[in-house]
Amino acid sequence: MKQVISAIALNTFRETMRDRLLYSLVAFAVLVIATTLLAGSVSLGQDLRVVQNFGLTAILVFQVVITLLAGTQLVWREVERKTVYTVLSKPITREQFYIGKFIGLCQTLLVTGLIMGAILAALVMFKGGAITLALVLAVLFIILESWLLSALGMLFAGFTGSIASSVYTFALALIGHASTTIWLMTQKAQGLVKIALQLVYYVFPNLEKFNLRNDVVFNLQPDAIQIGSALLYFAAYTVALLLAGLAVFKRHEF
Amino acid sequence: MLQLKNISKSFDTRGKAVQNLNLKVPKGTAFGFLGPNGAGKTTTVKMMVGLLFPDSGEITIGGYPGGSIAAKRITGFMSENPQFYSHLKAVEVIELVGELFGYTQTKTKRIAPKLLEKVGLARESQTPVRKFSKGMIQRLAFASALVNSPDLLILDEPLDGLDPIGRLDFKRLLLELKKKGTTIFLSSHILSDVEELCDRVAIINRGQVKAEGEPKTLRQRGEKTLEEAFVRIVRQ
Repeated sequence: MKQVISAIALNTFRETMRDRLLYSLVAFAVLVIATTLLAGSVSLGQDLRVVQNFGLTAILVFQVVITLLAGTQLVWREVERKTVYTVLSKPITREQFYIGKFIGLCQTLLVTGLIMGAILAALVMFKGGAITLALVLAVLFIILESWLLSALGMLFAGFTGSIASSVYTFALALIGHASTTIWLMTQKAQGLVKIALQLVYYVFPNLEKFNLRNDVVFNLQPDAIQIGSALLYFAAYTVALLLAGLAVFKRHEF
Repeated sequence: MLQLKNISKSFDTRGKAVQNLNLKVPKGTAFGFLGPNGAGKTTTVKMMVGLLFPDSGEITIGGYPGGSIAAKRITGFMSENPQFYSHLKAVEVIELVGELFGYTQTKTKRIAPKLLEKVGLARESQTPVRKFSKGMIQRLAFASALVNSPDLLILDEPLDGLDPIGRLDFKRLLLELKKKGTTIFLSSHILSDVEELCDRVAIINRGQVKAEGEPKTLRQRGEKTLEEAFVRIVRQ
């Protein structure tokens, strides 16, 4: 069973890594991260902080873009192109196929995240900064967030077309980063609005749990409990999304 | 080897595609599955390999439920208009299929060149699939259907898109497999090929079997070819 999942994951990894669009995106991301040097140079004595903040934001934006372009369409593009016939007619379960696709995509996002993270680390060192635990964790948490969004995109793609699923995933990524604001709004709202906002806060992914930019910029030591709870949240939410996506995919006919 | 009992399948958009279909394909038989466009051939084939789920009825392959892992292990399948991952080379496609059967890398690397040679793609083994013509894709699809040396080979319009030489090669390979005892289920609308290759045929129309038997028994007096019998049966 493991071998089959590995074969599908490796094939997915190869498929995405041989995609020219991915190369273009990563090259552009590296360029954008490099421009943080310019932004840093025009700030007054805050250049390292600007490089760290702007660089981490750029990594997050590009990881989300890659997830939207590759992740949300990965499984359903196979259906459209009919390559799924070749795979699912072989002795594999739909679970193995779906999980294999997810793992392959996660491998790609890990590589792209690490490349962008390494560029940022080089820039930070160039500016005289140190590679702190917070910086490493911040990059890893952006990668985790992109994994969670991939599971979300794969789920949406089961209900809708590939473009709509990208739009929904992007919308939830925005809402997920506004969760602190939503929480503050729930404190002031009343009645049905309060219930609706609470529902949004608890049901939609709270992506601010993966935001360690402040720890990096203000040189804070990451809180172990915060890290642990974010990891648990990631695991629980992603497993739930994958199970829901699988339930849709298992009933799908080709 | 293959049995379909009262299989029915409907679609929201197209209505009833297959209605109470019954078929029995004994081991070692080459069975032709004929029908005009939209008769329900591809729907039936997809149900056999688990891509579609029947609304009712039962499919068994070698005694295992159709679409199950055990059934797929002994089945080779070639779909209509097969598609492969364009980023892979021909040899990588076969290796991937081998891995999906749970074979070791050593085994897949050993069988891939042999299969590509068998279908006439030895020289193209390192060519990316995106550069393949339709005929080459058909050959590659046939090679991938043979990876597990299947007991049952299900082929959906396998001769479409092949040039005369390709068709000849293909038929020669099918006859070889038939001699070795492989059960062949050949869904096609190229009647001359089916007549040449198959021991038994079933003709379906509007999702129902209209006639079944040996090709020569389906012909009535005055009918020289299976094609004439086919036209009569479909129009009835």
